[in-house]
Amino acid sequence: MLIRASGITDVGLKREGNEDCFSTDDTLGLYVVADGMGGHLAGEVASKVAVELINKSFRHWMESGLEEEEVFGIPDQTLTKRGNYILGSIRLANRVVHEMAEMHDEYHGMGTTIAVLAVFQGQIIAANVGDSRIYMLRNGHLERLSKDHTIVSEQVEMGIMDPKDAETSPLKHVLTKNLGSAEFVTAEVFEFEPADGDRFLLCTDGLTDLVNDEEILQMIQAEESPEVFCRNCVDEALKRGGHDNTTVVSVFLSGITPPKQGPLKRLGIFFADSITGVHKTFRKLKP
Amino acid sequence: MPRLVLMFNKQVIKEIPFVQDSITIGRKPENAVAIDNLAVSGYHARIDKTGHDYILTDLQSTNGTFVNDKRVSTHRLKHGDNIIVGKHVLLFVAGENGAKQGGGNGDLDQTMMLETAKQRELLAKEQNKSGPPPKPRKIGILSFLDGSRKEDVALTKKLTRLGKSPNSEVRLSGLFMGATAATISKRPSGYAITFTGGMVKLRVNGEVVKGSVSLKDFDTIELGSHKFQFYQKQTKTA
Repeated sequence: MLIRASGITDVGLKREGNEDCFSTDDTLGLYVVADGMGGHLAGEVASKVAVELINKSFRHWMESGLEEEEVFGIPDQTLTKRGNYILGSIRLANRVVHEMAEMHDEYHGMGTTIAVLAVFQGQIIAANVGDSRIYMLRNGHLERLSKDHTIVSEQVEMGIMDPKDAETSPLKHVLTKNLGSAEFVTAEVFEFEPADGDRFLLCTDGLTDLVNDEEILQMIQAEESPEVFCRNCVDEALKRGGHDNTTVVSVFLSGITPPKQGPLKRLGIFFADSITGVHKTFRKLKP
Repeated sequence: MPRLVLMFNKQVIKEIPFVQDSITIGRKPENAVAIDNLAVSGYHARIDKTGHDYILTDLQSTNGTFVNDKRVSTHRLKHGDNIIVGKHVLLFVAGENGAKQGGGNGDLDQTMMLETAKQRELLAKEQNKSGPPPKPRKIGILSFLDGSRKEDVALTKKLTRLGKSPNSEVRLSGLFMGATAATISKRPSGYAITFTGGMVKLRVNGEVVKGSVSLKDFDTIELGSHKFQFYQKQTKTA
């Protein structure tokens, strides 16, 4: 499996500082995007601390092969061990950011969104808190792997609000969850198998406020290089006003080849198929 | 100019004129309305002036913010609204214009004291009501059509493995079955099945699948001689 990844963050045209932060680590297969919030420098601190901590704890746990029970917080039984590493690293980062915010006056009220993608041979994990998104391009379709934690999107999910109204709602930036504002946080975590040609995009709302899913689909399909694609995303956001910090990380997968089918394997498949056929016939004959 | 009247146990503690564009309510001293009580979160709620309106927003407080007995996340304040934060009540008194417009009677009799028990009750009521209609949660089910197993399998995990390997969630027998022959993943958009390996073929609705396809209700899945049907069921449990 070949992983090509790239990331850019841009302050935009209206903001003075950049509260976004990202990381890409191809050896670990970990990609993180965060959008910090909080006065003065607090937002920058929150996103940076969260990104660093998630990288650090995930790497540490992967290397030590820690049991899931030992990972921060009660493990989620619906997830694999690596899924629990991701969940645990987000919980840990949340606790640290929360405690920093409680302890230091200048950090009061700080928090950050987080979007995490982990790529392994045979496994993809996507996790998020807040409104930074993760998209996947597969078979020509763009799929969201993240859930927006905003009042608006929760109302859409409940069926109270029309998705059209949601795009223009003044409340669309009001988060229901972020990393740092509460002692505990529950992240959305999804796990699945990678497929050849999968492309991923992690981004902050600086992009998704200005560029819709349909446009992202066209852009991600149009480029072969993740670097160029990231640059195009940021340029597009800037062209449309760049009212916020914009961060994009893209991960393109290739070379996921199905296991070689030697003559023996083919013979096996032939036998398996014949047996299946016989089984089916038998089942049909049975009353 | 509108003002907030902070009350505890029917006693007016203080009045806070609304001079800024935005005020925060919470336990920490830097809040414009600081309430030193453990039932109040550090930053509990915020009121913003937008045009002629005053919008109350709950800042994801632990115990919630209530306006006239209803839990709110955001609320446009009217004259005479009782904002309940922990055991304290803030009465919103609009300016002269507001009072006329709202036509409400800023009657202190309306004031409702919230004891801890009452608050729990309110929260419980709120949870029972589940706010707006209970969030429909769907869970995928695999039912066996080949008679090899009787019970349906609920796809509660984010990733369910089907195969011969002992760590598969759905263990399947068969000489040519792969250790993990296929996986079913649960994603924001729904369920998808992916072929992972082994010599038996994966078929969804009769079509051979070599990569991954999303699953719809009542799709039939075949893995070698095993046959299942996929459907989604509503669950009440969160």
